[in-house]
Amino acid sequence: MSRMSMYEKLFVYFILTALGLLLAAPFMYVISMALSSDATTSKLTFTFIPQEFHFENFVRVFTTRLNFGQFLWNSIILVFFSMIGQVFVSSLVAYAFARLRAPGKEIIFVILLSTMMIPSEVTLIPQFILFRKLDWINTLLPMIVPNFFGGAYNIFLLRQFITRVPVELDEAAQIDGLGFFGIYVRIILPLIRPALVAVAIFTFIWNWGAFFGPLIYINDIDKMPLALGVQILSATNSAGQIPPWNLVMVGALVLTVPMVVVYFFGQRFMDQLSLTSGSLGIK
Amino acid sequence: MRKKEAFWFYILVSPWVFGFLAMTLGPMVYSFFLSLTNWDLFTAPKFIGLANYVKLFTKDTIFWKTVFNTLYYAFISVPLGMAFSLFIAYFLNRPIKGSAIYRTLYYIPATVPGVASALLFKWLLAPDAGMINRFLALFGVDGPAWLLEPLWVKPALILMSMWVVGANITLLMAGIKSIPNEFYEAAELDGATPIAQYYLITLPLLTPIIFFNVINGLIGSLQIFTQIYIMTGTGGASMGGPNNASMMIVPYLFNNGFRFYKMGYASAIAWILFVLVMLLTLLVFRSSSAWVYYETEVRKS
Repeated sequence: MSRMSMYEKLFVYFILTALGLLLAAPFMYVISMALSSDATTSKLTFTFIPQEFHFENFVRVFTTRLNFGQFLWNSIILVFFSMIGQVFVSSLVAYAFARLRAPGKEIIFVILLSTMMIPSEVTLIPQFILFRKLDWINTLLPMIVPNFFGGAYNIFLLRQFITRVPVELDEAAQIDGLGFFGIYVRIILPLIRPALVAVAIFTFIWNWGAFFGPLIYINDIDKMPLALGVQILSATNSAGQIPPWNLVMVGALVLTVPMVVVYFFGQRFMDQLSLTSGSLGIK
Repeated sequence: MRKKEAFWFYILVSPWVFGFLAMTLGPMVYSFFLSLTNWDLFTAPKFIGLANYVKLFTKDTIFWKTVFNTLYYAFISVPLGMAFSLFIAYFLNRPIKGSAIYRTLYYIPATVPGVASALLFKWLLAPDAGMINRFLALFGVDGPAWLLEPLWVKPALILMSMWVVGANITLLMAGIKSIPNEFYEAAELDGATPIAQYYLITLPLLTPIIFFNVINGLIGSLQIFTQIYIMTGTGGASMGGPNNASMMIVPYLFNNGFRFYKMGYASAIAWILFVLVMLLTLLVFRSSSAWVYYETEVRKS
């Protein structure tokens, strides 16, 4: 890359800073709203730059009757079990696709890849009927259990990683008497640990803010994960009653911060994995 | 040995195969059957042939509006978002100090969960007190009532989609990094300006990533739901306003299925959405040979 002239440099900095501030400005507004008093909230006179600093709002959402602790706990349960399911089942299936030979394998793999293109809406209503029959309404099971069948994207990703592990390791383990499952547990899993962390991160990102599923399956406030809980809080708009927007925005922040943290942790991790280059690159 | 290996293969892939049959294939077949019935969830489904589809295509004017709205949203927000990402990626890629900080700044909005950003933008887009209109007022522009005006509600949603282009930018930057420096050095010897280099080297070599992003973006934006549910109309059950100007396919499906319990009708909408997604994906794939450049490919000349 060529060196830039003084003017060009200034211009680049100006554009990047101006656009960056524009994109960052909404965060300022959320923070300002989250720190507002109830009086300001009831008059809806929020300011862009915070004028009041009611940090106790962050405590209030957990201590008053808002169920925030419960929302958060439900989200943690949902994400934790989804991660367990995806990490173990996807890697097991991926190992089979990467290493074992069987008739019909190619066809099954093509079907697996093609399911990535199917919009979830087309299976939505029968799934709803199925989960209703199983009496899973008002539980987190409809959101958790499908993860225990593995995800096509994760299986594909992990398969690519497993094919990079030298086959000689498998063969040596086989000579030492390990079976196929033993090879998966003792050889493959430890060697693809970084990829497993990547799958856990993806699963977190996809499930933490889950809204559509909980909206359909959960009616009890006590069972709701955070995203739905925050939305419900903002919608208690019955006849002139103004939603507690300051607390809603605290909720939005509580919902957002773990995502930002995981992304930061994840991005550094992904750079090491170089997911976007080499044989895994998007072609 | 081979037999044992095959046996283990089937054992190990069985969770996915079971999930595929129970969660994907079975439900797809069943939802197609349901789309040919009239069913309120409580009495037995009544077979009515293609009547749901006929009604959707010939009588249901709201459905046509939802298809138009959805395509309007997808076809403007996806290319515009791509252009915006490429614009920012160009500047981020210039040799400047602190580019990591800028990259982070542009990326953070993409990490905000949909519910949180929808609640936030509902406020930002408020007619008088909203930050966007107050910002426009600084320049003497009298902003519209955005979400409350039929003409402006879709542009408002598109504007919001520009906020989350960070994920695009990250992928583009990764693509830019993998372009060999020799290309630029050679271009520089020939006297190409940075902008010319971007157009003639960077962009063509990024087309596979652009292609991937466009397909993903299209599929995603055809399924827009959360923003509509939270931001439009009076929110929740009465979403899609004003005058259905922001009613999209998935919210309409949701209303029919989970508010009015017209499960057959909702299934027909789901199948139309499915076909639409497939058609558009196919279209982008078909057109890709004209504009996507792969380094390893030999061009017919």
